Amino acid sequence: MENSRHKLAIGVVALALLIAALPLMGACATKPAAEGQALKLGLSICMTGPAAEKGSPMGHGKLDCIKYINEELGGVEGYLIDVHWYDNGYDAAKAVTIVKRLMDEGCLFFTTNASAMMTASMEIANRAGFPGMACFSSPACTHPPKHIYAQMPDYGDDWAAFARYYMENIWKGPGKPKMALHLLNNSTGYGARDAARAGAGALGIEIIAEEEHTATTMSEIDSLTRIKGKNLDIIFISSTPAPTAIILKNAYELGMYPGVTIACAHASFTKALVDLAGADIAEGVYGVYPTVSWGDDVPGMAKMMEYCKRYHPEDEGNLDYMTSWAEALIDAEILRQAVKNTDYEVLARGDAEAWQAVEMNGFRNVKGYDVQGLHGPVDFSNPEDHRGSKSVKVFQVKNGAITAITDWIEAPLIKYEDFEWFGK
Amino acid sequence: MDLPCGTRNYDYAKDMAILRTRTHWALFIGLLVIVFTAPLYLSNYWLGVANLIGITIIAVTGLNVLMGYCGQLSIGHAGFIAVGAYTAAVLTTKLGLPFLVGLICSGFTAGFIGLIFGIPSVRVKGFYLAITTIAAQFIIIWVINHWAAVTGGFVGISVPYASIGGLSFKDEPSQFYLIMVITAACILFAKNLARGRVGRAFIAIRDNDLAAEVMGINLLRYKLLAFFIGCFLAGIAGSLFAHWVGFLSAENFTLTDSILYVGMVVIGGLGTTLGPILGVIFIRLLQQGIMYISPVLENAFPGLPAGFATGVGPMVFGLVIVLFLILEPRGLAHRWGLFKSAYRLWPFSY
Repeated sequence: MENSRHKLAIGVVALALLIAALPLMGACATKPAAEGQALKLGLSICMTGPAAEKGSPMGHGKLDCIKYINEELGGVEGYLIDVHWYDNGYDAAKAVTIVKRLMDEGCLFFTTNASAMMTASMEIANRAGFPGMACFSSPACTHPPKHIYAQMPDYGDDWAAFARYYMENIWKGPGKPKMALHLLNNSTGYGARDAARAGAGALGIEIIAEEEHTATTMSEIDSLTRIKGKNLDIIFISSTPAPTAIILKNAYELGMYPGVTIACAHASFTKALVDLAGADIAEGVYGVYPTVSWGDDVPGMAKMMEYCKRYHPEDEGNLDYMTSWAEALIDAEILRQAVKNTDYEVLARGDAEAWQAVEMNGFRNVKGYDVQGLHGPVDFSNPEDHRGSKSVKVFQVKNGAITAITDWIEAPLIKYEDFEWFGK
Repeated sequence: MDLPCGTRNYDYAKDMAILRTRTHWALFIGLLVIVFTAPLYLSNYWLGVANLIGITIIAVTGLNVLMGYCGQLSIGHAGFIAVGAYTAAVLTTKLGLPFLVGLICSGFTAGFIGLIFGIPSVRVKGFYLAITTIAAQFIIIWVINHWAAVTGGFVGISVPYASIGGLSFKDEPSQFYLIMVITAACILFAKNLARGRVGRAFIAIRDNDLAAEVMGINLLRYKLLAFFIGCFLAGIAGSLFAHWVGFLSAENFTLTDSILYVGMVVIGGLGTTLGPILGVIFIRLLQQGIMYISPVLENAFPGLPAGFATGVGPMVFGLVIVLFLILEPRGLAHRWGLFKSAYRLWPFSY
């Protein structure tokens, strides 16, 4: 009797505790979304302008993936993603007004596909505490880390990862290999330059030339002739597809290639490069890219290819489409974490408090997120390292197709801000 | 300025006044009320657009002094704006000088750089001069990118908010008031310049430089003065831009921008004070409108061929400009003049 009374008392206390804890548990759980409730996401895309050959497929990939998330997955935790997107035309002044507009419209965070557009937007966003994520980024976007994040390794990481691979797998000669950098005259190009400055000495690479080109260059015969005389072993190009194709063609015309090793950072290493340069000229060129190849057997590939074929068949095979599709998946994960850990009413306001909540409860809770295998795992939990994915693969053009020749290679965090010359 | 029937000027001061009738004053006060109450009803985004318009008006007013009044074609104006912007950035960020000192120095630095690139104008004109000013654009941007110890190079340079005394212009409304006051001052300066001795000399050079020289106008002096003033205003615009945007990289100042500024002067009306204002407002608002079109079309007509929706924006932009130049080659200011003339005679236009 005594024993059963004791059990009853324990049961009553447990029940009381459970009832008392219910509201707390309810508060912790994500509230179901009501009709019309949505999470606003801002996109500043260069659909037109000088970088449209990348911006257009990236815009398509992003918008298609959000369509998939909203229509097939029912949004994020039941909340639809309300996309506010604008074409910045690769124009810095437009990018500035767009980021202000996205803040005004109450977006929870914003993304850009081009590092140059993030560079134009980031100071305004950083000052307001408005989080942003750049699909392609340069070291200046995330160093020192403030409110801007990067989806993938930056152009500097491309150089660091490839240089290490080159020294371990390609370079067989005596002494130090001589490398020339051919750089787009903006943050895309100079991200690689900064990494080379930081790491070439330690890897045993001699940088013998730094040549620049513009996004609209028509010929690089002059610059290649200059570096041809320096008896170089490798040219590393950090640029976009059109100028890179011109450099490849000119190197071919000058008889430099085949001969020297040519490697490209990820901003140019896409199907557009092979199309523009021609498969025969691009054959054998190395490149670094932070995603898997088109058609690889990874969980997210089938759905992405289905949407690409249905809505934008002209982008089939384009790695930029895939990169941006993956970015949209990350956006959704950030929003999912934010809405799981924050009251929707706070997020719905789309103000400084909401932005802070998205950053602390959204970005920071993305830990080892698998982007359905499309690229390396994404982790924003380290406040010192704002790169989501830290991994790249080395590819090579083989029989006209961009083919992976390595597994994921981790790009180490370079703390540029610790170097005296950074930004000088 | 034309006056309504029956309105006379009885002294020199009245003859020289910019606002001469009650209607002028009423319209002017109405404009001031609309402009200076704008932060009450415009969102931050639209205030941002207004700020960009104000800054661009200053730059294009400078180009109008050079091109519209003095007839010296410049396709390097974005480069001179960059000089002003970076001067302000370096002086305020690295040397810690006050905003106003940076503002004035930006104007003078850009003016002096403009003088250097203006020297060829004594010997060459038209397309040849245009090519020398394009060189200015490229040289200036190259120097900015490679003088990294001062300018930050490709990484860029942060610029603090503008502040005067203890008053910091941190938000869009306060920046709006600052920019509008300086814009108004620059417009007034350009207006008075154009109707004074210097402005008349500029116009004489523009219309026929040989005749102007025969009449005693020193071509070297006045052409260089036009470059100095035009680039001084570009420098002022650059300084405001730097403090408004907060971060500078050379990509903010492209050749495309320089060409767009020429387009703004032409569309607004060369050689008028009103032209740059109307041209800038027209182009900047058109750009904002175009930004809306692609997403709206993409959402409304998902069946459109791929790339069509995004291609429509630039097509409409180009089409509007082409149509404008065909239908109103003398610019919006001329159209406004025609409207005013018709209004003055109404209803007895015969």
